[in-house]
Amino acid sequence: MASRTNKIRPIRKPIMNRDQGEFEPCWALLRDAMTDIHLQNAGRLSFEQLYRASYKIVLRKKGALLYERVRDFEQEWFRDHIMPNIAALITKNLINISLLQHPGSSSHERREMGEKFLCGIRDTWTDHNRSMNMIADVLMYLDRVYTLETKQPSLFAVTIGLFRDNVLQSHIGTAADDIEQDFVVFDILCAVVLGLINMERDGDIINRNLVRKITAMLESLYETDDEIENQRLYLTLFEPRYLQASTEFYRKECEKLVQEANCSTWLRHAQRRLNEERERCGTAISIMTTDKIASVVEKELIEAKLDVFLAMEGSGLKPMIDNDRLEDLSILYQLISRVDSTKSALKVILQRRVRELGQEIEKALKNIDFSVAGAAAGDGEDAGEAAEKAKAQPLNPAQQQTAAAIKWVDDVLQLKDKFDRILSDCFCDDLLLQSAITRSFSDFINSFNRSSEYVSLFIDDNLKRGIKTKTEAEVDAVLDKAIVLLRYLSDRDMFERYYQKHLAKRLLHGKSEIHTEKEMVSRMKSEMGNHFTSKFEGMFKDMELSKDLTDNYRDHIANLGDADHTKVDLNINVLTTNNWPPEVMGGGKSKDEGQKTDCFYPPEIKRLQESFYKYYLKDRSGRVLTWVSSAGNADIKCVFPKVPGKETGPLSKERRYELNVSTYGMIVLMVFNDLEDGESLSFDEIQAKTNIPAPELMRTLASLSSVPKCRVLLKEPATKNVKNTDKFSYNAQFVSKAIRIKAPVISSISKVEGDEERKETEKKNDQTRAHVIDAAIVRIMKQRKLLAHTQLVNEVISQLMGRFKPDVPLIKKRIEDLLAREYLERVEGDSSTYRYLA
Amino acid sequence: MVLRKDQLELKLKDDEQLIRQGVLRNEHPLDDSPEFHEFIQACRRGDLKHCQELISGGVNINGKDKFDYTPLIIASLCGHYELVQLLLESGALADPDSFERERAVYNALNNKIRNLLLSYDYTKTADPLQAWSSHITSLLSRETPKTTDITLLTASESFHLHKFILSSRSPYFRRKFTEAPETATWKLSNSVPVEAFRVVIRYLYLAELPRDIVGPRSKATEEEVFKGIDRLCKQLEIAHLWEAVLSTTDRRLARQRHQDEVQRARAQVAAYFRDTVLKHKFTVDTRRVGDVKWPRDNAISANCLLRADEYDEEEETTVEPVEEPAISSNGIGIPIGPAAASNSTNGVSNGKRPRRSVLFPVHKAFLIRSPYFATMFSSEFMEAKDTEHLHVIKMDCLPQVLEIILAFLYTENSDCALELALDLLYEADMLLLDKLKTKAAVAISTLGSGTSNALVDRTHGGAAEELQSPPPATSTSTHSNGLTEVDEQPVEVEPINVYDVIHAAWDLKVQRLEDFAARYLASRLEDYIDEEEFAELIQESASRLERREETDTIELLDDIRYYLGERFRFRFEGDGIGEMLNEEGEIDAAQVEGLAAEAEDGEIRPEQPSDGQREPEEEEEEGRSTERDGKEGGGGVRTLDGKLVEDEFVSDAVNYQILLDKIDKMLDRLKLDA
Repeated sequence: MASRTNKIRPIRKPIMNRDQGEFEPCWALLRDAMTDIHLQNAGRLSFEQLYRASYKIVLRKKGALLYERVRDFEQEWFRDHIMPNIAALITKNLINISLLQHPGSSSHERREMGEKFLCGIRDTWTDHNRSMNMIADVLMYLDRVYTLETKQPSLFAVTIGLFRDNVLQSHIGTAADDIEQDFVVFDILCAVVLGLINMERDGDIINRNLVRKITAMLESLYETDDEIENQRLYLTLFEPRYLQASTEFYRKECEKLVQEANCSTWLRHAQRRLNEERERCGTAISIMTTDKIASVVEKELIEAKLDVFLAMEGSGLKPMIDNDRLEDLSILYQLISRVDSTKSALKVILQRRVRELGQEIEKALKNIDFSVAGAAAGDGEDAGEAAEKAKAQPLNPAQQQTAAAIKWVDDVLQLKDKFDRILSDCFCDDLLLQSAITRSFSDFINSFNRSSEYVSLFIDDNLKRGIKTKTEAEVDAVLDKAIVLLRYLSDRDMFERYYQKHLAKRLLHGKSEIHTEKEMVSRMKSEMGNHFTSKFEGMFKDMELSKDLTDNYRDHIANLGDADHTKVDLNINVLTTNNWPPEVMGGGKSKDEGQKTDCFYPPEIKRLQESFYKYYLKDRSGRVLTWVSSAGNADIKCVFPKVPGKETGPLSKERRYELNVSTYGMIVLMVFNDLEDGESLSFDEIQAKTNIPAPELMRTLASLSSVPKCRVLLKEPATKNVKNTDKFSYNAQFVSKAIRIKAPVISSISKVEGDEERKETEKKNDQTRAHVIDAAIVRIMKQRKLLAHTQLVNEVISQLMGRFKPDVPLIKKRIEDLLAREYLERVEGDSSTYRYLA
Repeated sequence: MVLRKDQLELKLKDDEQLIRQGVLRNEHPLDDSPEFHEFIQACRRGDLKHCQELISGGVNINGKDKFDYTPLIIASLCGHYELVQLLLESGALADPDSFERERAVYNALNNKIRNLLLSYDYTKTADPLQAWSSHITSLLSRETPKTTDITLLTASESFHLHKFILSSRSPYFRRKFTEAPETATWKLSNSVPVEAFRVVIRYLYLAELPRDIVGPRSKATEEEVFKGIDRLCKQLEIAHLWEAVLSTTDRRLARQRHQDEVQRARAQVAAYFRDTVLKHKFTVDTRRVGDVKWPRDNAISANCLLRADEYDEEEETTVEPVEEPAISSNGIGIPIGPAAASNSTNGVSNGKRPRRSVLFPVHKAFLIRSPYFATMFSSEFMEAKDTEHLHVIKMDCLPQVLEIILAFLYTENSDCALELALDLLYEADMLLLDKLKTKAAVAISTLGSGTSNALVDRTHGGAAEELQSPPPATSTSTHSNGLTEVDEQPVEVEPINVYDVIHAAWDLKVQRLEDFAARYLASRLEDYIDEEEFAELIQESASRLERREETDTIELLDDIRYYLGERFRFRFEGDGIGEMLNEEGEIDAAQVEGLAAEAEDGEIRPEQPSDGQREPEEEEEEGRSTERDGKEGGGGVRTLDGKLVEDEFVSDAVNYQILLDKIDKMLDRLKLDA
């Protein structure tokens, strides 16, 4: 070809010399260097030369051969130089102690021997590791190019792995002829390490650093040369054995503890062990095991005998709660939450204990005699003020009941406080436990049949007294607690009924501050919803309207310019019948007396009433006002003339007092106005003149004649109780330090109902419930048209849950009733299904 | 997050203002060169291959056309996902704070592209100096191997630093260290708060400056620190630090500032590198290298000596196996010419004269950019030991190659002369410098570009020029200004020994070079096909595949065939004959026969190929040439076997056939199936 002759091509470069005969000299160089490295003579070796040698070998495609040779060299090195040393380390004694657990040597000896062995292994490993690193440095090009390309494990991995094959997996030869089992060095290593750790657990001091070195070695070795992450020898060989040994250790320890120790020591011991193990993982074993060993301790030391310890007499969970051993409890909680996320063991005991304590309160209530003032006072932390008040005079039965109610609520609140404290201090406000405690509280509170009434009474008491003695903040706190109790109550309609009654009395008698009341109601509102408080709010509204009405009426009278009427000032409360309890509205009485009879008002009052009624109807025609004399009160200015014959002292002067009495009291006193000095009226006469119902009259007269500070009437005979035959006369000698005197209204003291009244209330309540249930059933059926019996019952219960717990027989009865009234009918052929009839 | 349109417009306004004020550089200058236009068009079409070629041809990837479109915006607008990816990887700017990026994101055709753009952080864009500057920064915290040689002490803190870097970055330090080279520790003045020093040092080491100059626990007030910085700036003569301190708030500005700083630093280091390392290199008699004693405390703070030997024909007594004489026994080439500077000693005629070695005083801090040196200095071997005098580390390469390597390590500069490229390739491979290895490979494989196109097809003479109508779509697009070699030229100097190249490619696993070699061989197969060594090469390529089976192909040969096809086919496609062919559909086989017979006068008849594999292709080739034949009058072109044929297309067909025949014959000889 023409062009070929005149062509010039650059010379081939020597670097590309492809001579094949270079391997042996290079290898010789490397081999000598490796020996030197093993003998720690590397300082005089030139990295550059060695690297170049290996580089050339690889470049000449002899990588595979080099790879082989290095591996063989290391293999030989192990055989010739290292294994003899290892074999020397393995003495018969060591085998006997570590593997066969021959007794008869002190722990000190064992430790010495074990540590010596470990030191030997560690040194060998350190040397090997260092040498292999250096060799890997020199053979870097081989690893980067040849092994990567051929997808073999890197030479470093292989040579490091030789340690595993040659040392750890080597069989114990001559030193142990009489052993039948086939042990490898690793078995001894493992046994020694575990032995040391157990020694440390028993309180000895061991060389943790050494152990750490050994485990680190196991961590950097793998099952195979592929170095798969989860196949570290540490994980595959050592850790299982370690966990196994630990399991045994702790199982034994736990059994010992069950027999010898109490719950409190057990708790602390377990906690200490957990900390120790964690620390050990950090310093002697490997952090990888932290969780696993912790679960071993949890399982063996905590979970295994948990029930036994919790039930321990005198130190178990029950005494802990009773004695407020908060520290124990918090440790217990921590431990239990490790082993059982539901904490059922703790929960069950806790719940049982709450119920028990609740029942104890109830029992205690029955046993305490409230008639003795000291009993209440001596009850330690009991509501101190109730006791003080009780001290002043022996309590009548009603007051006793009130005190009992307050004590009950106080005790319950205290119990609640106690568990709240435990919950927040020890149980980290655990939601599970919280709901468990709440459930048990509500269980025992609802199992006590007067709880609704007591809670209402408690609130009543606090609101009334709150004005006088307690700061607002204190009252606030108490009310908060009351609301908490309210939450537990399931028969809320009962509570509503009581509260309405108590509230009415407070409002009408001005015994509490209106804004505190409103506050309370708004809290209830946020707690139980609108419908619950609508009546209470209606009551407040009535009160406000009445105030305006009174003012307006006053203006109206003033405008009339009728000077005569100014003598009697009217303060009127117009109450809406629905919102106020029937007792207040006098509904209760009308039943007793068949026909609602009004008492005879004095003419002045009569005029006033008529005038007001007229005024009232001006704007609101068609309404009917009923005067509830039992709920009113009156201020009377009275003048006691000078008592003749007395020259000194208060009696020597004319005395003017303002008496505050109930409406009935006023009527009675007005009757005495017309009486001559020295005359007297019998009970029957008074009743005839006033037409006041006998029990009311009795109470009124008692308050005017027997309470010393306002004894404006004299009674004959001067006994405490008022009888039909008693005679009353005007007490001209009456004297008092105060100008304004309030006659105690006996009936207005908050009190517990007597058993009779209770039944009455319950009966009424049941009636109301019946209506509510009716309404619920109709509502549901209207919507669903067709519904099976059980479903209907369930729906009703779930709808009414917020108000009370309806019982099933009652619901059944109501359904029957509705069937009879043809609101519903049974579906033909399926008697358990109802259809709604429009 | 995608900006709203009004925010986008605001951004554009701000950016333009900043650029006008000269605060920001305009990273997207208007480019109305035809190459760029072509690039934009290719981006619009989504022509991945063409774009790749244009990019490697050096088109401005961040330019802007007269409609303000950048290639990236066009590509994302037209929805070419792979192209967007290519552009980003090739260094198209997608600066998160820039208007252009926002515009590209805003315009993106689909969410896939949008997400790609959004995921592309600035740091991922190709910053050629990134590796270099981060190495410098890493020196601040790097502990093994120890490379620091000076400790600056303050009352509470000590900084372990490098004299070389301090000297190159600050004239003040340079003077001080030259005056007293033995300084190992340096007490800093107590009047300047330590925070100020920290900032200055981080600046000198190209690290990012902390956003809060004064940390929460520092005792000094901000004012004191700033005063301290000011003082240090003046003292150390580092003027640009203030800019850096003040621009920490604006990310984009800070980054641009940082880039400028890196550029500046590189220039400084490069200058100082020339001043120290290159200026102080010295040549000694190889036999006396052992006597060289350099003290540790030298004025240029070098802590290591690298030795490179010049070529020598003599047999050395050392054990280095590579030091063998380079005997060109194969008789292919005669060693002459301007190939390597080392050739001055490279000749038998020079007689026996003592071998010379060049020693470079160097700094470990830069050497450890190579994993080879990093390992060497971290190990426990001799080189890592501290001795009184500097170690001399032998490098198995020419001094010129070593210089290139050092320039790369010190300054990231990788310019490489073609003659040295192969040596550099091997040395870079040994030093595990992948980047430099790639650069060397690129230097070789692009030797076809530029004025001395090695890949030009000499069978096509000057006539090729008129055939270059539309720019070709293949990688040989840069042919246009080549074509200098004509048959009549008496001596052709091949720029490189292709056997070396292919062996290097195999040895060092450089795919790029394998491709190149195949193309090179294909382009002048007529020179090589009859050589003994070529046959050996094919044999070797066949044996490279372990457990080769009969049906397996020979990689090299396949490549050569492929490029051979390209070499001849290219001309038909270029002339649009391919399309004509498709229109007419049929190829008249008989006509081919006849034409071939006529053309070759029966001597080497283009037999129908026995090898079924390449039959269709071949027929097509011939068919095309036939078509062409009818249209052009006889021009009289010579084929490879010296026959005169009517025109180039006929000659192409004939030549192609001849070469393929020869390959077959050779395979027969080698008893290889392919």
